[in-house]
Amino acid sequence: MKKNCILLALLLLILSALPSLAQDMMDYPSEMTACEVDLAGETINIFHFGDLSGPFAFVTQPVVSAVTDAVNYWNSRGGVCGAELAQVYEDTGGSREAAQSTYDRLTSQYADELDLLLLYSSDDGELLREQLAEDEIVSLIAAGSIASLYGEDGQTPGWLYASNPLYINQFGSFCQFVAASPEIFPDPVIGFVTWPFAFGLAGMEPAAREYCGGLGVQVLAEPQVFLPTDTDILTQVQNAIDAGANIIYTNTIASGPALIAGTLADLGMEDEIKLAGFNWVMDTSVGILGQRVLKSNGLPSVDGMFGSMPFLWWTELTSPAVQFVYQQFTINERGPAEQNIAYLVSWGVVDSIIETYIRTVNRVGSLDAVTGADIRETVESMDYAILGGLYQITYEEGMRDGTMNRMAVLKYANTTMSGAATGPDDAMLIDDGAGGKLFVPIVVPLTDFMEVPQLRG
Amino acid sequence: MTEFINRNQRQLTWLLYALAAIALLLFIGDQLAGKKAARIVQTLISGVLVGGVYGLVALGIVVINKASGVFNFAHGWMMVVGGMIFWSFFTVSEISLAGAGLLSAATMLMIMTTVSYRNLLERRNLLITAGGTVALTLLMTIGGIEWQWLHALTGTFAGAILTGLAVERFTIRPLIGQPLFTAVLMTLAVAEVLHGLTQIAWGTVELNLPVFVDPQTNSRFKPIRLDGLREALDGLAIIRVELVIAFVLALLAFIGFMLFFRYTSVGLAMRATSEDQQLAQSVGLRVRVILAITWAVAAFLASIAGVLQGGAVGLSLNISFVALRVFPAVLLGGLESITGALVGGIIIGIVEQFGTLINSSEQVGTNLAPYVVLMLVLVIRPDGLFGEKRIERI
Repeated sequence: MKKNCILLALLLLILSALPSLAQDMMDYPSEMTACEVDLAGETINIFHFGDLSGPFAFVTQPVVSAVTDAVNYWNSRGGVCGAELAQVYEDTGGSREAAQSTYDRLTSQYADELDLLLLYSSDDGELLREQLAEDEIVSLIAAGSIASLYGEDGQTPGWLYASNPLYINQFGSFCQFVAASPEIFPDPVIGFVTWPFAFGLAGMEPAAREYCGGLGVQVLAEPQVFLPTDTDILTQVQNAIDAGANIIYTNTIASGPALIAGTLADLGMEDEIKLAGFNWVMDTSVGILGQRVLKSNGLPSVDGMFGSMPFLWWTELTSPAVQFVYQQFTINERGPAEQNIAYLVSWGVVDSIIETYIRTVNRVGSLDAVTGADIRETVESMDYAILGGLYQITYEEGMRDGTMNRMAVLKYANTTMSGAATGPDDAMLIDDGAGGKLFVPIVVPLTDFMEVPQLRG
Repeated sequence: MTEFINRNQRQLTWLLYALAAIALLLFIGDQLAGKKAARIVQTLISGVLVGGVYGLVALGIVVINKASGVFNFAHGWMMVVGGMIFWSFFTVSEISLAGAGLLSAATMLMIMTTVSYRNLLERRNLLITAGGTVALTLLMTIGGIEWQWLHALTGTFAGAILTGLAVERFTIRPLIGQPLFTAVLMTLAVAEVLHGLTQIAWGTVELNLPVFVDPQTNSRFKPIRLDGLREALDGLAIIRVELVIAFVLALLAFIGFMLFFRYTSVGLAMRATSEDQQLAQSVGLRVRVILAITWAVAAFLASIAGVLQGGAVGLSLNISFVALRVFPAVLLGGLESITGALVGGIIIGIVEQFGTLINSSEQVGTNLAPYVVLMLVLVIRPDGLFGEKRIERI
């Protein structure tokens, strides 16, 4: 209820600030390939599974919401080339065993139909990499690990295709940004304070340290790890600072970045030590959870945190893609907690799946004739602006992850919603529904989209 | 030589343990030698305070085990349920009268039917049930958001009692007289049921639980900075206020339970029940009631721990995993010892923090150090530091 109040207020603010945003139903923002084959009476299933009830559920739940909304949107408009869209999904609770058994069951139950599969986690990607190749099933994933996308040697592209750049490449682009911004990052030394999972430690590879070192950005060899259940991480943060870090980089989500930022504020070092992370640190949840602790300037502790933003964000409402997803979000009365990265990007994933099917069916002549190899051929030939510009995918020349990234900073809106607040006095504060006030998080892009360095070795 | 080894096998084993312990201590000493005093002091403070919360979680597990011999694997999920119920009452400006009434009525019905459902046939009991329902509902809904603490504490109390009694009534009670292992397995099932119910009721989004908030600034309390000791310690050490509050609450809970078990008839009955349920029943103790009270108490303790943990880092399904981290503390202190729960919790807290100070990159603090200490202690004292030594007569 409380979060509903917050986000409803936030949405009203954004809408009132943009009167030009039409309330009429918008046209679909992508210019999709025209259908050459009538698929009336057929069904295109969108298959996906992953952790919907385990540790990362609060990130992944909106995937189901977005796919549901997208499926309903298309079906209410006659489907895709006449074919009805449907989704088949499973919750594996973050368990590898459950992921394996779900995969086995789906591949057996939908043997003739399962050519394209949406996965959520790098771990599942690594688990299923070889099997996907063997079964000739293309898999889309938000951001896979090197091992899942390119194999242990980093040089063997498989059947998984990520929309975001690899986390190691995101880290590389952060190093580029640091090297190009000596006024913000003098004598930069980066220390990792992060979660100990596969994605948490992405960027700690020697290749990344070497690349950053070449740019004049030192990266400490030892990461400081903590668990999502940790109450106090003073020791980890101080270890990094004692080792010389003046930038802390984290691959954590939700309360993870907030805990680090709060610890820096507790130590009175929020101005001396900069905080940064991969694309997930820019999520709405971080902006809200990071308000528990205020910095000395009176703004929330995560204010000023840097992060990757390889796609457009909710606040970039001049983009038709964002306007469209925002409108669908509102029409479907989605809860505020779902206004996150997963919901936004999942609309893009559905868009890419539809475009992939249209192109493939046009080429092979019928839906029944489509095989995983056909889907793969289509995907690898695509140079496609998702939803007309939410993000771009190009999987040519053996690429399996996104190639473009930009840097952004997490800020809080000022009273006129025209920019970032400089302190609590000019910050937009909204009622939190429980007698308190909340700052309104915004993401401010700092750079244009640029190609990420390729650091997978 | 072989004869010497055979004859002195026990002594040699101990000698090896002693050498291993000395080597470990020398290694730790070497690792800490280069650290500033401020870091050592800070680590100790953090360890003790975090350990207090572990102790509180451990206490809930020990209470169940002490009374029934069951190791409760559902305790972590009872923490989550308690924390979520608290959140529902604490952060909502207008509490649903129907929801509060339903919770109150269910709680009172469970309490009044602890012995038998026939109790409800008596007019007096019906009146108590109705009166209790009205009173609880009023406490949960009276006033506006400024009464949030009263709403949340009453709601959490009722929710915890309901959870504890329901778990006991529908899952543990039918297993009285069955092998203990069956009941332990049942707690695993209960954990998953609570997991599912929590997800249905509150979803999976991480929630902000602003209980440790300074009303002046509407943000978390500023930590206490030991600036006066900065020179002496060669650095700054801080004390986080919310962890101090959690620690003090944990201590109060311990003192309360120590007194409860030692000096109240219910506490003594619980201890007797834990020794032998059938014997306790034969001397007139109401085993069912005692077990029900035990589960309700454990659920309440879990709720307190859930609120403290959720307030410190945010309320999510992940806090259930805290109970897993507490298992070494429970075993270290002794499965049936209240004191052991606190001491074990603090020891594990300190060990985790020092392990992290020495090597945080390989999770030495959380994955290795607590279990090494646990192994060492169990070798010396198999029943834990404060566990009861059991002698089986054959």
